Amino acid sequence: MTEAASSRLRSGALPARAGIGLRSVHHAALLRDRPEVGWLEAHTENYFHDGGPQAAALERAREYYPLSLHGVGLALGSVDPLDREHLAGVRRAVDRFRPALVSEHACWGHHGGEHFNDLLPLPYTEEAAVHLARRVCDAQDALGRQILIENVSSYVAYRASHLTEWQFLSAVVDRSGCGLLLDLNNAYVNSVNLGLDVERFLSGIPAGAVQEIHLAGHLRRRIGERDLLIDDHGSSVCEAVWGWYRRALELFGPVPTLIEWDTDIPELGILVAEAHRAEEHLRRALELAA
Amino acid sequence: MSSPPESASLRELQSGFARALRESASAVADDPGAAFASAIAGDALPGEARLAIYRNNSRAMFAEALQRTYPVVRRRVGAEFFQRLAREYRAAHPSRRGDLHWVGAAFAAWLEERMAGTEFAWLADLAHLEWACEEALLAADADALPLQALAGVPAEQLGATALQIVPSLRCVSSAVPVWSVWQENQPGRAGRPIDLSLGAEYVIVHCDRGTLVLHSIPDRNFRFVRHVAAGATLAAALEGSAHDLEGLQRVLSWLFNERLVAELLTPAPARAEACGR
Repeated sequence: MTEAASSRLRSGALPARAGIGLRSVHHAALLRDRPEVGWLEAHTENYFHDGGPQAAALERAREYYPLSLHGVGLALGSVDPLDREHLAGVRRAVDRFRPALVSEHACWGHHGGEHFNDLLPLPYTEEAAVHLARRVCDAQDALGRQILIENVSSYVAYRASHLTEWQFLSAVVDRSGCGLLLDLNNAYVNSVNLGLDVERFLSGIPAGAVQEIHLAGHLRRRIGERDLLIDDHGSSVCEAVWGWYRRALELFGPVPTLIEWDTDIPELGILVAEAHRAEEHLRRALELAA
Repeated sequence: MSSPPESASLRELQSGFARALRESASAVADDPGAAFASAIAGDALPGEARLAIYRNNSRAMFAEALQRTYPVVRRRVGAEFFQRLAREYRAAHPSRRGDLHWVGAAFAAWLEERMAGTEFAWLADLAHLEWACEEALLAADADALPLQALAGVPAEQLGATALQIVPSLRCVSSAVPVWSVWQENQPGRAGRPIDLSLGAEYVIVHCDRGTLVLHSIPDRNFRFVRHVAAGATLAAALEGSAHDLEGLQRVLSWLFNERLVAELLTPAPARAEACGR
């Protein structure tokens, strides 16, 4: 058993099981059937508000499942001032729903007061790593807890980048003490779109920091004279990503794993079946770890 | 326009990227997207084509968020025209928050200007109604009082009593039958055209135990509810709505039965009583 796997078994804020994203189209079926999944992940921004059906459904689901809150709008890498109002919304959601994990993305998203509501990639430079780490620290201070930062998918590589993606993420982890949310679909998308070496990426990120894994589907599209993978979270996990998942479990041990599906959302049963496939891999990893 | 050098600072890089993403970027002759593309490492696919993916994503995210808030407006105008409206609206009111729920906050007011003087001017009222629905769905939950709670108020204090209405309540009035249009364009309904000459409708929107509820009510009741929701005492609301006592009883019963009253705000007792002297 690796050191990372050992620490995972001891810490384990979420169970080392597979979870699914909570989506409003599944509220009724999930609360009625309570499918056998290890935990739920919800988008933090959906719970900034005082009431309503979304919050009520999460309150009820929370009685049966551990929770991870995953933010998509804080845009920590933006050079604009940190959005304190947004951060206060995250804090309210965290205080109310008491998630086991809180995560955001290694990206930027707003500039000059305009928000692009997208996960825009940062250049892999020392300056950007220092900036992101400082913002992660600000967020952690405001929330009074550690957060995880997710590696994002990208369609561009900047000429200004002089670090690798794993060096960049390692620097942010070192400076801020945050954890990592390892999105294997994003890493695979970047391998096709930008030539990322996934094996070196997985070996290069700090193993002890990986506290959650995301698995998702993508879209292959011909653009110009080249195939690009579009990270749309709109289909089942591809075999190549399952392969990298097995490799990640070898390296990091059993890590809580989410099946993400955000567009063309299927019936709940399909999502649960995908989670069960991940659970099979996790079970084997647990056996190995034991 | 100069392009960012390879050693571009983070600020320069985000500034250039943001210019390339803005709605007008692909429409101007001196294309900022093309200028910024040199900061991107290209291969068979040039930097500008890669930037276009982000530009399209950002545009689509905005339009989808707007569409989630305004599904009936979209159904009435059609997908293509709605996309055009979304682009124009975004140019005037770009997203200011990481929380997409607020993207449509100014859409109804913007539509009022955009459609002024056209046969589609009424769409602004429909948008006001859909925004009221959005707000109701996000408002704080509150327990409702039963009608019997009124029985505890001494008769002489009733006129000076105010009602605290549940936070989700919104009042929308329109010179056209906007509630009927909304009803006819819900999922599963045919979406038949509604005769706009049928006249005004007065709509109360609220969220009850997780369910959105809309009522079309008579003008007089609407005025009463609006006065009460604004904090007026029952006497003032009665005067403002020109109800008689029988009408007052009916509209009060309706308010309580629809679980719209969260609290009774009875007048403070006279000082001597309050001090127990």
